[in-house]
Amino acid sequence: MPARKSTKPSTATRNEAYVDTSAFIAFADRSDSYHALFRRLFSDPPRLITTPLVVAEGHGWFLKRYDTARGLQFLSMIEAIPVGIVSVGEREQQAASVLIRRYSDQDLTLTDAVGLHLMAVRRTRICWSTDFHLGLTKVPLVIHT
Amino acid sequence: MIRTQISLSEREYRAAKAEAARLGISLAELLRQSLRQLLPGDENKPWMRYAGMIETGEKDASQKVDETVYGNKK
Repeated sequence: MPARKSTKPSTATRNEAYVDTSAFIAFADRSDSYHALFRRLFSDPPRLITTPLVVAEGHGWFLKRYDTARGLQFLSMIEAIPVGIVSVGEREQQAASVLIRRYSDQDLTLTDAVGLHLMAVRRTRICWSTDFHLGLTKVPLVIHT
Repeated sequence: MIRTQISLSEREYRAAKAEAARLGISLAELLRQSLRQLLPGDENKPWMRYAGMIETGEKDASQKVDETVYGNKK
């Protein structure tokens, strides 16, 4: 999947937040217990980043739970949200594989691991997620702050 | 928050209470959510119209993304 916007690690800001699939789902799903939190956060967002893997995972979630139309609606939502899509290539995949091996006692997905890697190299200080896997490297999850 | 009073028919009230109970939220929160759906969104933040666009009926849907996308272990 081509990257919409790419930001280099050296441009990382202290206020940058990494957005995981679960945050997008909680924002979209009004029955989710974290919906009100993410509605508030997305209404006044800091600089946001995510990856094409997260977008693919979210799209897959909508296809699994709903249908093609809802999947397209999710993609439209991603296009509307001011979030930078960071490119993921071989280097990121290899770094993610290292993390998956390090945390082999966890069911860490490649999407999660790439997110953990990017947060480390970009020194991202906050993660928008409801998934505890994204807290494995001690970047605070916004649901706990 | 601004406090206000509204009048509902008995039927509307019963239906709203039942829906709020089903979702596990208060009647006030149900009415706030309904208003947000109805009112025009902030034109400066077009993405906000996607907030709450679906209702799975599950409080923990966002915490089960891996399970939904990748499936349960056998």
